[in-house]
Amino acid sequence: MEAYIIKGYRSAVGKAKKGGFKDYRSDDLAVDIIQHLMAKVPEIDPKQVDDVIVGCANPEGEQGLQIGRLISARALGKEVAGMTINRYCASGLEAIALAVAKVRAGFGDVFVAGGIENMSVIPMTGYKLAPSYKANLDNLNYHVSMGATAEAVALKYGISREQADLFSFESHQKAAKAIAEGKFVDQIVPVEVESIFVENGQRKSVKHTVAVDEGVRNDTTVEALAKLRPVFKNGGVVTAGNASQTSDGAAFVLVVSEAIVKQYNLTPIARLASCSAGGVDPLYMGIGPCVAIPKALKIAGLQLKDIEQTELNEAFAAQALAVIQEAGLNPETVNVNGGAIALGHPLGCTGTKLSIQLLEEMKLRKQRYGMVTACVGGGQGIAGIFERFD
Amino acid sequence: MNYRLKKVAVLGSGVMGSGIACHLANVGLDVLMLDIVPPNLEGASAKEQRLRNSLVNQALQNALKSSPAPIYHTSFAQRITTGNFEDDFEKIADADWIIEVVVERLDIKQQIFEQVDRYRKPQSLVSSNTSSIPIHLLAEGRSADFKAHFCGTHFFNPPRYLRLLEVIPIKETQPQVTQFFMEFGKITLGKQTVLCKDTPAFIGNRIGVMSGTEITFLTASLKFRVEEVDAMTGSLIGRPNTGSYRLQDLVGLDTGDKVSRFVMDNVQGDTYIDRLKKRTPPAFMQFLLDHHFLGNKTGKGFYEKTKEKDAEGKTIIKVLNLETLAYEPSQKPNSTVVKTAKGMELMDKRLQYLVDGESKEQQFFKAYFGALFAYASNRVPEISDQYFPVDDAMRAGYVWDFGPFEYWDLIGLDRGIALVEELGETVPEWITSLKKTGGTSFYRFEGGQKKYFNINSESYEALPDTKSYILLDSYRTQTPVLKNSECTVHDIGDGVLCFEFTSKSNSIGEGIVRAMSEAIQIAEEGQWKGLVIGNNAKQFSVGANLMGIGMLAMQKQTDLLEQMIDAFQQMNMRIRTSKIPVVVATQGYVFGGGCEISMHCDAGIYAAESYIGLVEVGVGLLPGGGGTKEFALRISDELSEGDVQMPTLIDYFKSIATAAVSKSAYEAYDLKYLQKGRDQVCVNTQLNIGKAKEKVLELAEFYIPPTERKDILVLGRSGLSVLYSAINEFRLGEYMSDYDVDIARKIAYVMCGGDLTAPQQVSEQYLLDLEREGFMSLLGQQKTLDRIQYLLMNNKPLRN
Repeated sequence: MEAYIIKGYRSAVGKAKKGGFKDYRSDDLAVDIIQHLMAKVPEIDPKQVDDVIVGCANPEGEQGLQIGRLISARALGKEVAGMTINRYCASGLEAIALAVAKVRAGFGDVFVAGGIENMSVIPMTGYKLAPSYKANLDNLNYHVSMGATAEAVALKYGISREQADLFSFESHQKAAKAIAEGKFVDQIVPVEVESIFVENGQRKSVKHTVAVDEGVRNDTTVEALAKLRPVFKNGGVVTAGNASQTSDGAAFVLVVSEAIVKQYNLTPIARLASCSAGGVDPLYMGIGPCVAIPKALKIAGLQLKDIEQTELNEAFAAQALAVIQEAGLNPETVNVNGGAIALGHPLGCTGTKLSIQLLEEMKLRKQRYGMVTACVGGGQGIAGIFERFD
Repeated sequence: MNYRLKKVAVLGSGVMGSGIACHLANVGLDVLMLDIVPPNLEGASAKEQRLRNSLVNQALQNALKSSPAPIYHTSFAQRITTGNFEDDFEKIADADWIIEVVVERLDIKQQIFEQVDRYRKPQSLVSSNTSSIPIHLLAEGRSADFKAHFCGTHFFNPPRYLRLLEVIPIKETQPQVTQFFMEFGKITLGKQTVLCKDTPAFIGNRIGVMSGTEITFLTASLKFRVEEVDAMTGSLIGRPNTGSYRLQDLVGLDTGDKVSRFVMDNVQGDTYIDRLKKRTPPAFMQFLLDHHFLGNKTGKGFYEKTKEKDAEGKTIIKVLNLETLAYEPSQKPNSTVVKTAKGMELMDKRLQYLVDGESKEQQFFKAYFGALFAYASNRVPEISDQYFPVDDAMRAGYVWDFGPFEYWDLIGLDRGIALVEELGETVPEWITSLKKTGGTSFYRFEGGQKKYFNINSESYEALPDTKSYILLDSYRTQTPVLKNSECTVHDIGDGVLCFEFTSKSNSIGEGIVRAMSEAIQIAEEGQWKGLVIGNNAKQFSVGANLMGIGMLAMQKQTDLLEQMIDAFQQMNMRIRTSKIPVVVATQGYVFGGGCEISMHCDAGIYAAESYIGLVEVGVGLLPGGGGTKEFALRISDELSEGDVQMPTLIDYFKSIATAAVSKSAYEAYDLKYLQKGRDQVCVNTQLNIGKAKEKVLELAEFYIPPTERKDILVLGRSGLSVLYSAINEFRLGEYMSDYDVDIARKIAYVMCGGDLTAPQQVSEQYLLDLEREGFMSLLGQQKTLDRIQYLLMNNKPLRN
């Protein structure tokens, strides 16, 4: 039985450590988004949800202790189950795929799937970096940092600093334009955040609403980007300006079976035609989409030219450029509203967030097939192909 | 009255104002720094506080970013708050001390002091940092309480690093105020305080102007090239390595010129200056000033650093030809006299040689020192009641190793008098008296005290600071407790011994290692209370004697080397576990083996200006004298139940693996070389041995030594794997060479206790054995030998 996406919502993406969600936990944020999502589909009683699938790249510390379960109980009631899944930067897309697969297998009819990440509190490597000694004897690059992989990709595929900076500049320009045009307004749930702090010795409380993606800089220039220093390599390509931003965010979609669609007369917006992951040498992690895309196309029975719109996660400009080049993507149809370099990359949330952005843009453009693809730490790539309905 | 300072207001935020504010913050004071509201504010922005304070805030930011850093530790900057003269002047009512550092204009300073007089609380101290305005003029028209608490406090730039603080009272200044600044400046600010009279340019700059001028004239008359004079006036005679002209380029020619002009315009009854006014200055000085070639800040001065490279890829440095006034490639000076003098280790012999002969160089030195001695001696008592403050000022403010009268002692009293007389000058009366009373030198050491000839009482008296400053020179007349070619052990009184390194650059060789155990044994068996390890040299120690290690390694004397390393480790364990307290006192470089010794002492008194690091990686080694073991021990002590351990491990590892050196003793806490609670920072470098002695006495009461530890938790493979990953990142980023990776992995291995499959407690000796194995295996590598050889020959590390 086919599975359908009914609706999806996300939070605005906050800048990690200094943005609106820096002190706002990702489980709290997830509860806000899921409750909003369910309120928008009043036909379905929250208690009907079979499972809440929460993607999270660093499920430890504040995101540990079965955060998926805690989110389901708080958002929908303790009768509703929940779990955490992790495919690092693709967790949010994998959560949707898992929900779809469960419906198709007949394991349930109503799923909430999505992803979360608060990078303000949890270090990129997790609290305890503890690689396997045996693995390191075998290949030191199993645990290589993401930045180092981007440098390796840049070197291997001949991506220059200038190309990377120009790509980043354009990402900011496109994102700034999209925000100015109000393109994200319908998909973002405004969230009110209360900050309590001491100022001049006095306890103060300030409330503010986070409703706009915070990372975009419409005033940045190629020249300003060119001035930044390489972070990961002596004389390298990758800078803070041409890498994705660390961010906080949450995004969820509602996936239901065909039977539920019929029973409640719902209007699906899309279905996930296929979703595939594949592996590459961990040192060249960034090129991962190139193995995932052909697999996903094959399963969907499509060709690359059928894909009208792509959201390619911009982990690094160098990596994104290499993927566009090697996979033969049409740059005109990739990240038309900017990408993670401007809009941020809240790891576990990103896959769901990009899916929601893709489907909204396809609606405007009345397109049928679109793709979300991302490189994934440890040397992987993922691609998900959506078919949108009118 | 005992002034207790907590809050200080600094008025003016220029280079000096900001630098002073930073140094006051360095010692823990709350600093309020004020400056003008920017003059060009208009409309609504004129009311915005952020903009009104923009000038002072920018000045502070510039200072904090400058190099060398004006502040011991970045966190100390929060002790400085800022404001502006219009909105915040009344805040000085809280200040215990108000120091004025505004532009050098009498009318402006008087306006500021009028305001200060209005807002300050009674009894608060007020001072000016002026270098060129008579102090008494600044107090004109002020209240009696203001005048009673007012004096000049003249810092030298940069205030953190230059040790001179001139204190200039006016006639109304209460004696206890002057006394307070002399003591506070010394103990708290770490300065060499010098009591000055209100004479133009006080002491330091007055002598400095004469010295610089004389060198300039002699350069011209004897037709020397710039590089030649720099080779003669640098480390050869115990002055900054730059030499005279490169230093002028560094400071800025205009700065020196301003002070010279000021002295020329304002002094009276100064025959040298009177004669100078009639002489035509060498054309090159005027040329440089006219063309605004003021030194490094304008791109060129005496030297010009070009963008051109020579055949070997080195930047071509040009130098001003003083005759043609054109810049031409500099030439390495080749003077036999300089070479011969350099070969003489003892400074007295060297200087005596330099003023004994008719070569061009010797003519230069005879004339220079003759003029310096004549000038300095005839300025006493004009600028100072006694002569020793003149020496203090030149050492601290101009970074000379010797003041004029100390040079004189080195050359010899009579020879010096002859040099003066050869110039047709005379020495003052008081020197005749000194000779008449049988004196043969300006300074003498007696009974552990350094004495000077008091020109009023006409007798030798102890220098005022000898109680708190322990100068090891004072003990050279007494029989040492122990001595060999690398070290001397002195009895410094009250049952405390001081172990002084005396080897070249205080490097640690076999002599020190052997003597350390003996000294400890002597102390344990005798009635000694404890041992201080300290010296008065610029550098505490550059580390182990690399030459010795390198030679043995090249000869493949593996057994001997292993014995040596073992002895070094055992020496440090002995320091740790001996029955007497051992306290280290450091300053300057505390590198490698010197750092390892320090880390094994029971406590440490570290001068703030201590630059500390385990730098072995630079020569392809790991800290093998217990330093790596000590880091493993400290990691273990820092871990607590349930913590994630790895960040602690990585923090410690980084210090050794990157050969990190602290830029102040405070920074060394962050780098893990110093430990809170055990080690203490002492702002005044000269007080460190005295404080270490006090610490020994404090610990000596019923002292129980630590025993060898057997409970050091090492992480084994789990830690090792993290460090291997971290090292891989450095390699991928091309921050490390393949050989750096090998060395870093060896360090990781020792710090993790090897490749244990689970965390476990181990003993110090187990770690020392690992450390020694790692050290020996690195010494067997050609690349390590190449690094050692390169450093010895080029004095900079090789990255291979």
